[in-house]
Amino acid sequence: MKRNLVLVFTLLMSLSLVLAACGSKNNDSAGSSSPPGSPSASASESPNASPSASPSETKVEPFTMSLRHIQIGDPQKFRKAILDEVVKRTQEEVPGLTIELDGVEDSVNRFTKLPAEMAAGNPPKIFDVFGGAADTQKYAKAGRMLDLTPILDELGLRDKFLSGVLDPFSVDGKVYGLPIGGNTEGIFYNTEIFQQNGLNPPTTWEDLIKAADTLKAKGITPFATGNKAAWVGNMLVNTLIGRMAGEGTNPGFITGASKWNSPDVVAAYQIIADWESKGYFTKGELGKEYGDMLNDFVAGKAGMMFDGSWRSSAFKDDAVGKAIAGKVAFVALPPVPNGKGNQTSVNANYGEGYGFSSDLNDNEKAAVKAFIKNMYSDEMQLRGLLEDGVLPSMKLGDDSVAKVTDPLVKQVLDVLKNAGASFPHFDSIVQSKVNAETEAQLQKLIAGKAKSDAVGAAIQKVQDAENAASAK
Amino acid sequence: MKTTLKNPYVYLGFVLPTIALYFLFFIYPMLTSAVYGFTDWNGLDRRNFIGFDNFANAFGDADFQHSMYNNLYFIVFSVFVQIPLIVVFSLLISGVKRLQGFYKTTVFLPSILSTSVIGILWGYIYNPDVGLIASILKIFGAEPIYWLGESKWAMFAILITNAWQWMGFYIVLILAAILAIPKEIDEAARIDGASGAQRAWYLTVPLIRPVINVVVMLSIAGALRVVDIVLVMTDGGPAGATDVMASYMVSKAIKFGDYGYGTALSIIIFAFALLLTALYQFAFARRQERVEY
Repeated sequence: MKRNLVLVFTLLMSLSLVLAACGSKNNDSAGSSSPPGSPSASASESPNASPSASPSETKVEPFTMSLRHIQIGDPQKFRKAILDEVVKRTQEEVPGLTIELDGVEDSVNRFTKLPAEMAAGNPPKIFDVFGGAADTQKYAKAGRMLDLTPILDELGLRDKFLSGVLDPFSVDGKVYGLPIGGNTEGIFYNTEIFQQNGLNPPTTWEDLIKAADTLKAKGITPFATGNKAAWVGNMLVNTLIGRMAGEGTNPGFITGASKWNSPDVVAAYQIIADWESKGYFTKGELGKEYGDMLNDFVAGKAGMMFDGSWRSSAFKDDAVGKAIAGKVAFVALPPVPNGKGNQTSVNANYGEGYGFSSDLNDNEKAAVKAFIKNMYSDEMQLRGLLEDGVLPSMKLGDDSVAKVTDPLVKQVLDVLKNAGASFPHFDSIVQSKVNAETEAQLQKLIAGKAKSDAVGAAIQKVQDAENAASAK
Repeated sequence: MKTTLKNPYVYLGFVLPTIALYFLFFIYPMLTSAVYGFTDWNGLDRRNFIGFDNFANAFGDADFQHSMYNNLYFIVFSVFVQIPLIVVFSLLISGVKRLQGFYKTTVFLPSILSTSVIGILWGYIYNPDVGLIASILKIFGAEPIYWLGESKWAMFAILITNAWQWMGFYIVLILAAILAIPKEIDEAARIDGASGAQRAWYLTVPLIRPVINVVVMLSIAGALRVVDIVLVMTDGGPAGATDVMASYMVSKAIKFGDYGYGTALSIIIFAFALLLTALYQFAFARRQERVEY
């Protein structure tokens, strides 16, 4: 009987070992999330508390941090190079640090992976994130993101950002994310195709429509697009809303000042529906990815595409779109007849940047500080502008901007300079459910399953529910 | 040692770890999801109990109904198209004298590939610009078909891919049953003058009916929980045309951040699957008697 007891005891011990192994990760994170003032954290004064601290005689514990980025694939290689440089410098400055890069496609990260990780409470330590109520502000309110205000104050960075660009990343005056740069969305067109067909640049609505009709008749797709993920099509929707309903429309959706089912917004959707029925867009666009849009445009299958200014770096001599390098121009969407508000306004986004997990120990916080110092510097901002065509989110001198030689980036800068006003993309304003609904409804509109007024009504229904929920 | 194995606690010690893990990964999530289904939890904020609202919404949700119909398409397609084809192919392969192993391996190959691989592979085959089908159509001067980009084709395209993936697995199951039938029965029928088709229809098929039953039930269960192939190939698109219940649930829970509604949908899917398999069990499978040779 005694042997039996020993046996049972052994089995129970092994069982408890198995279960303890299961729980180890939780214990770790619980320990590391303790506030800096707690005895466990203050007892071991970290040698890496500041990035300037030299590796002292105390032995450095190696540690790794995960970094989620979206710079994957050839079109993003310039951005990836900048990130790699920042990672390299940060690793050199922080003893023991290894940063593990984890590249995920943009919309998968933003709409699927990161939300799931946030819900589970295990986001990467450093991650690409968007500003606004659907992203940073939602996560920050749930306590998932690190308050960067002390770090910004310490590094003296807060005033270096352009005015207002930190707002979508802030909650109650605290900053939780930092925009990496800015962009505007407009029309890229193939100047060679336009010349061959005797077309004027699409700077007026008449010329735009004429160009689209002419190209269509010649068997060239007027607008390349790929709406398997409908954020692509939402870029044009967003600017059309700005044209048809005025540049102040987007911020009003969450306050109730503007409505998705108002005649002006519905008119914007109606333009999309009309263009669909005229065949202005790529055939089978609902089965095409964002990358296919660039491929079709580069292959000369389409004369125009409505895309973000970040795409300008794809048309360099050594980039994915080198086949048409030097034959691409960028203009804003021309004024629309019967439009409301300032018809020279353009969309300007400072929506994408980096955020950090709130679940960090002191070493990791030091690494975050070094990362911010290296990433958000004049040098990297200028590199982003010159190498990648990303508009700076921080204040750069005019002399820096004058160094821009890329004609396409110059055109982007001109578009912004000549704009009478600017407005943000609604996806950095409205709640995530509303944004998801705009995508679902746009796809229905494209597939001919819903009319423009039904689309507006369906989105407004979700918007009303979300506004009511956040008012509670 | 003899007394050890008579001690019931020893057995308990052996099963306890498994039961604990089963509880952790199956029972506990099921119980919590039953709770979440009645809340408006968004994955981050505090959750409020909202009673049966989620379930009421689900039954009034036209998009969810549509995705339910898509699951039914999967069932209908697998039961009325796939399974007859599976039986025919199995009969053909069972009659092959040479290289039978080669045929068996070839038809089985797709089922060992991961669904992602198959989805991407068929994505290229369906590609309207450079795909295999488009190239063949071009030879005949036909316009390319936007298989995955147009609502009317996308569901069909996925059904074909799904069938291609799973037919081999079921063919091997049925083939094993056919080959297990004693040769004498077939020989007796042959001596009596039955043709090949008659022998297949009147002898082989009735004798393998229990296995066919299992295959039908596996197909129904598989069709109800299908989701990976849809997510890889179309992500429910174009415009929700290929959404099945599970992919719609994923999109609602994660893309819309509506975890409460998502879990309510998953409970409905569970109930729906339980109901259909139970119906099939009672209506067909129970009536089968054991086959005695």
